[in-house]
Amino acid sequence: MSSKTAVIAKLALRNLRRQARRSLLTAASMIAGGALLIFSLILGDGTHEQWIDSAVRMADGHLAVQSVRFGDSRALKDRMPSEYRALVERALRQGGLPGDIYATVPRLSVTGMASSAAGARPVRILGVDPAVEAAFSVLDEKVRQGRYLQSGDRLAAFVGIGLLEALDLRLGSKFVLTAQDAGGEIAGQLVRVVGTFRTGIPEVDRSLLHIPLSTAGDWLGCSGDVTSIGLLLGNSQQVPQARSSLQQRLSRHPGSDELQVLSWRESLPELDAAVKIDDFSNYLFQGILFGIIALGIVNTVLMSVMYRRREFGVLQALGLTPGQSASLVLAEGLFLTVLSGTIGIALGLSVTWFLWGEGLDLSSMMDNEWTFSGVVMEPVVVPSFRVARMVQGLSFIFLIGMLASLYPALRALRIDVAETMKFER
Amino acid sequence: MGNPALRTEAVWKVFHQEAEEVRAVRGVTLTIQPGEFVVLAGPSGSGKTTLLNLIGGLTRPTDGRVWVDGLELTRMGSRELARMRLEKLGFIFQSYNLLPVLSALENAEFPLLLRGMEREQRERRVRELFQRTGLAGLEHRRPGKLSGGQQQRVAVIRAVVGEPALVLADEPTANLDSAASDILLTVMEELNRDLGTTFIFATHDSRLMERSRRLIHLVDGQIVSDQWQESRREQ
Ligand SMILES: Nc1ncnc2c1ncn2[C@@H]1O[C@H](COP(=O)(O)OP(=O)(O)O)[C@@H](O)[C@H]1O
Ligand SMILES: [Mg+2]
Repeated sequence: MSSKTAVIAKLALRNLRRQARRSLLTAASMIAGGALLIFSLILGDGTHEQWIDSAVRMADGHLAVQSVRFGDSRALKDRMPSEYRALVERALRQGGLPGDIYATVPRLSVTGMASSAAGARPVRILGVDPAVEAAFSVLDEKVRQGRYLQSGDRLAAFVGIGLLEALDLRLGSKFVLTAQDAGGEIAGQLVRVVGTFRTGIPEVDRSLLHIPLSTAGDWLGCSGDVTSIGLLLGNSQQVPQARSSLQQRLSRHPGSDELQVLSWRESLPELDAAVKIDDFSNYLFQGILFGIIALGIVNTVLMSVMYRRREFGVLQALGLTPGQSASLVLAEGLFLTVLSGTIGIALGLSVTWFLWGEGLDLSSMMDNEWTFSGVVMEPVVVPSFRVARMVQGLSFIFLIGMLASLYPALRALRIDVAETMKFER
Repeated sequence: MGNPALRTEAVWKVFHQEAEEVRAVRGVTLTIQPGEFVVLAGPSGSGKTTLLNLIGGLTRPTDGRVWVDGLELTRMGSRELARMRLEKLGFIFQSYNLLPVLSALENAEFPLLLRGMEREQRERRVRELFQRTGLAGLEHRRPGKLSGGQQQRVAVIRAVVGEPALVLADEPTANLDSAASDILLTVMEELNRDLGTTFIFATHDSRLMERSRRLIHLVDGQIVSDQWQESRREQ
């Protein structure tokens, strides 16, 4: 049996070589397809990684630890008390978590009003630790006037440009924040504008402001408490593992069932959907492209079966079963596809690596600033090379080769040997 | 004595062509012993090819039974048939039918390769046969670089190399000129004499009929005569 397999493989390779010219066109389309496939997967992943990175920096990180009830209520009463915060911070300090933790940010988030002589506006107030927040958030890079918060700031506020205009404020102006405090009472806090930012997203620029965490704690009567602790990881691929080990680590402590570890997929469902839709449309495009390529393969392989009907008859006369002689067709189709597909993938990989490994500048294709799902897109996409994608691409090509050779193989299977020997001359 | 190389019992093959019934083989009963060299003669359309296809298990009979080396073909499935062909039968076709991507040597050793025989043993056997049939030195040529007579001799080697119980040759000289035909027939007769290979040789060439010891005449799918005659090849 294995000797027959070896014979079939040898014949398949020889036949491909004999039909080199006919095979070449099919191979060329497959090489181009493989290269395009891997390029678009790599670039897609790079783009998504960038979306995710920008989005999680604006929001709560790749992973966020918060109280279970806070997820729904977003209310101060469902914050994490300081002993839980300490628990989480201890768990993170232990080290040895899978993935790289770039930043850990404690935050106290509350909704309230900002008012000046010019009027009042609803706002989302984020109490942050300025030192770590600067490493985490993108806001400190969007400074328009003044500066971002610093350690030691007390009554400082870093305010969106839209809010500044709405309240008719200037750098250095004072204004008042009011919100419900930990005790359920309305409390006010006077702050001063130390800097302004512009993200390009009007809703954010109109309603977001940062103040020091300690100021927020004192004002709201919950010093040391936070509403969430956000984690920034090396990349989004590290999320599932980091999450489960953190969850596991926390679960060893009493009261941990009050806490949950949310991934960006849960805290940013629109982004999650956008990534999936984008992946899907890429798959759809690749599916159509490879459907066309597959038709070329079907044609090449089928033609070679039809030309060589008698050869398949001879093989059966010599002692191959119909299945074995048909498997020669399968082998030829698969060799052709997998060989050229692998070359294509290697080509796509190296071209992407050498030409755009550092980043592919799409700014000429994006006329305006491009915002999406609360994120401003960077015009430079850095490709993301993942082994899983190579495996996926190769398996896909193998599958295409298999599918495309199946019909010609069936035709070879049904060949009537006596019939092929007729019409001699 | 062991099994006959071939036994058929009232074998029929009826083709249905549109409304018409073609009775290609009509109740052929035949026994051939190991070592025989049988010429199957008959005009074109007399059913020679159909009979050989029935014996080779390439076509299923409408009625009757066929045994090769004691094994009943008519009961076999396609896998068993394939194995039987590999182990018990050799085929020689009118148009050589060598595999174009293999060298002469690779074509000739193909049945041994399928059986998983060691390379050394294979090559020894095939080279000896190349020597014997006057093909020495042509081992590495592709079929396209060989004359028709040479290709057909390679096909003969391919048919006999596995020491089958029976070799079926369907008008193997029809595409050859008379000189090449003579050489081929001589080669086959020598193999029959020296190795004891059993041949059934279908032809409508009267010149070749004269040279056979056992001559079976087929007309309209029936055996009309089956005679032993004095072979003249010894002269
Ligand atoms: N597949 C087939 N379908 C219909 N008729 C066939 C088929 N094969 C052979 N025949 C007919 O059977 C008869 C015998 O043919 P064949 O065995 O090829 O004769 P020979 O080999 O002696 O020339 C012929 O009349 C031929 O037309
Ligand atoms: Mg014939």
